[in-house]
Amino acid sequence: MSAATGTALFLSDENLGNLVAEIIAAGRRLVAPARDPQAAVGGSADYRYISSAAELAFGDSLPRMSLKGFFLPQSEVLFKWHRKGADVEIEAVPTEFPPQIVLGARPCDTAALEIVDQVMDWGLRDELWFGRRNATTIFNLSCPVEDASCFCHAVDLNPDATRAADGMLTPVPGGYLVESCTEKGAALVEGHKALFESGDTGAAAERSAAAAQYRAAARAKVAADLQIDTTRIKEWVGDHFDDEFWTALGPRCNGCAACASVCPTCHCFDIVDEPEGVGHGARRRNWDTCQTGVFTLHASGHNPRADQNSRFRQRVNHKFFIYPSRFGEVLCTGCGRCSRVCPEGQDLAEVLACIDELARA
Amino acid sequence: MKELRDLTRKLLADGDAGVVIGWEEGRRGARPAFITTPDDADKLIFDARCVHNLANYLNPRKPQVKALGKPAVVVKGCDAKAVAGLLREAQLTRDRVILIGVRCGGVVQTPEMPAELTEATVATRCYGCDVREPKLVDHLVGDARPEPPVTAALDRRIAELDALSPRERWQFWTSQLAKCTRCHACRQACPLCHCERCITDKTQPQWIESSSHLRGNFAWHLTRAQHLAGRCVGCGECERACPVGIPLSLINRKLQLVVKDLFDYTVTDDPEVPAPIGAYAVDDKQEFIE
Amino acid sequence: MNIYQPHLMNVVAVIDETPDTRTLRLQFKDPEVAAAFAFKAGQFGEYSVFGAGESTFCMASSPTRPEFIEASFKLAGKVTNELRQLNVGDTMGFRGPYGNTFPLEQWEGKNVVFIAGGIGLAPVRCVIWNVLDLRDKFGDVTIIYGARSVADLVYKRELEEWAGRSDVKLVTTVDPGGETPDWKGEVGFVTPVVEKTAPSVDNAVVVLCGPPIVVKMTLPVLAKLGFADDQVYTTLENRMKCGIGKCGRCNIGPVYVCKDGPVFTAAQLKGLPAEY
Repeated sequence: MSAATGTALFLSDENLGNLVAEIIAAGRRLVAPARDPQAAVGGSADYRYISSAAELAFGDSLPRMSLKGFFLPQSEVLFKWHRKGADVEIEAVPTEFPPQIVLGARPCDTAALEIVDQVMDWGLRDELWFGRRNATTIFNLSCPVEDASCFCHAVDLNPDATRAADGMLTPVPGGYLVESCTEKGAALVEGHKALFESGDTGAAAERSAAAAQYRAAARAKVAADLQIDTTRIKEWVGDHFDDEFWTALGPRCNGCAACASVCPTCHCFDIVDEPEGVGHGARRRNWDTCQTGVFTLHASGHNPRADQNSRFRQRVNHKFFIYPSRFGEVLCTGCGRCSRVCPEGQDLAEVLACIDELARA
Repeated sequence: MKELRDLTRKLLADGDAGVVIGWEEGRRGARPAFITTPDDADKLIFDARCVHNLANYLNPRKPQVKALGKPAVVVKGCDAKAVAGLLREAQLTRDRVILIGVRCGGVVQTPEMPAELTEATVATRCYGCDVREPKLVDHLVGDARPEPPVTAALDRRIAELDALSPRERWQFWTSQLAKCTRCHACRQACPLCHCERCITDKTQPQWIESSSHLRGNFAWHLTRAQHLAGRCVGCGECERACPVGIPLSLINRKLQLVVKDLFDYTVTDDPEVPAPIGAYAVDDKQEFIE
Repeated sequence: MNIYQPHLMNVVAVIDETPDTRTLRLQFKDPEVAAAFAFKAGQFGEYSVFGAGESTFCMASSPTRPEFIEASFKLAGKVTNELRQLNVGDTMGFRGPYGNTFPLEQWEGKNVVFIAGGIGLAPVRCVIWNVLDLRDKFGDVTIIYGARSVADLVYKRELEEWAGRSDVKLVTTVDPGGETPDWKGEVGFVTPVVEKTAPSVDNAVVVLCGPPIVVKMTLPVLAKLGFADDQVYTTLENRMKCGIGKCGRCNIGPVYVCKDGPVFTAAQLKGLPAEY
């Protein structure tokens, strides 16, 4: 995936603030990395709906959770029902959503959306997902690369990828170089064009050079992290379901599934009914994960995945064998969040390196 | 370290243990290690980054650990309290586990931090620790370590929250619990959350809604807190596992203080001392039902 | 369109099959939906009781009888418990049909052997009626059905009907100890009864459904009798939520049971990990 190709404009730090203010004044919802205003102590940024530029935390570390919650909420109402005697009335939820803009998304989080699009569009189309996708304009923040757990380059991305993005911001001295790469992106820039400085001034060449340097440094940094061949891994995983490799990994995993919560591509869900009073209630879809025992537990008590070895294997399988077999690409963008969040030090990059080595042998 | 590694080699070579569960160096700091052959014994480490409570792996509902054979587990004093909890609650019998105690001088907050203990990095649970040298052990290794720097940050924060009005406190917890995604990492990381079927997984009736709205989140965290009162050993693993950063230790520590006040009970590594949840005394205070 | 929003259906009949198994006969409330609805043998649906949730069942009725659909379920969890509380005239939800089908067109002219254990007769019953309603198109029809006890046999009236037909060979069996004094069928597990009945492999296909243990035990016996793996069809019943390839629950190896199944040949089954 190459960098954005639109004409680069300059957005000063001050005008970024003005852009935020204009977007919010226009009544649009704006998502950006921001600190929790309620947090007792610091904490890292999360993607949140913001109401002022002061909340922006572009310089913070990778947001703790990915962007997926803005498209597949942790818990969302699928419809409501009302009982009328023996009859039931269904109250539908809208599948069209008001426009929202994301500023400063990490490229791994944005690319994940397009990967998950495939399963959401497989057979019956999930309009709740696509309703939000269509309503959203995303400008990435070219990523400085978080730490050695990042491996986006190993899964066909890079820190300045613009896959699924409408544009990208690259930090340069005094502000950001802004490129749009879709019509939606261009429309956003056009709508606030007084804030952007055109690319034909004397400072432009300097800024372009700074941006190129920034990107090159980030690419070099992440390229050092992990060298694998995902095709080779796919074949090995597909052919080694019963390999003892998996039994060596399961014991450490405590099944907490924090990995799935923070993952930009994990999209499994549960569907539950919850009464909201007498005779009415909601059917909801909630995040769920293959890392728990109840995920596959039959009402009879039979469980096809009875231990954590098989559950951890399923996670790797789904991402690196099932998804590429079905949709032609891995279900992972190399953000490294699962490795960072795991309380027991299970490390997906290390697991992939091991599999790659086994596959090479 | 040599003492621990030699002991591990011997336990595995003699067939006394099928697996020694300790710590090793991972790419992001110390992490749990499962040593099954004497040759791997040199992977084991112990320093202030070994924060994990390995008693969690003694949960009888972990078939993938059971499959490795009889476990020998390296325990710090606080971990030994969790083992005592499992023994007290009949989840484990003493002959089914070998306990290798390590003398501990406190740990840092996360395994990724440098091993040097400072007031800023020391884990809050190390404040007031009464088991630097675990008693509930079969083997005790390592040299005595100096006391860690003191941090009463947790108790200070609790005092701050106690000083708030109920409304302000409600707002604080609402903002915190609103973040919960109901992934139940807190439960999975907890060595004392060993129920055969957790109440939040039960559907007949559905005591606790599984959706991550405030109703479901409050029901879950209040129930878990109640169930851990007088059982929680304060290891902080739930808070460390939480992917959204809910300060669960505040809840658990507060309940430790409440239980101390009401029942004069402090969690101990002596499995023979009953916990208040499983014991009744005629002079138990009953203010809570008034 | 919200793909998770069910159609509303009326319960038009409630039939108790056994002490713990019940069949609900359902009709769409909206005549337009009813007119547009069609399914094929082997497919399944998501049935819901509002307030309890959804559960996955195969279509137990035949597509040749399109005026209603039927679902048979055994009391097991929250949803089935609530389904049991429904009476004639009550409203429930349905999404479907989903999944693949038995390739009945390819079976025309062939002999069909049906083997089922317990509630596994529900998906098989759909195919049996489908075949019997198009009787001229198929060769010999053999049905081998077993349950734990006489009381646990489902579709008893239909078993009688099939027993009375000259163009159907029906063998019923109950587990040892499950027979009653006047029981005239076989006594023994399904697997040995299949071996004893020894249906001919010539120009035949087998439909085998039942609890995982019955399927796992019977497959080698069919192989021993000479059936090739692509002559034997079965259904998998992994846990599902969405039923439409999104929720990620029913994976077995690379397969989504809800999309690639629930119907699989024994040959396909052998290519999958045993995670079912």
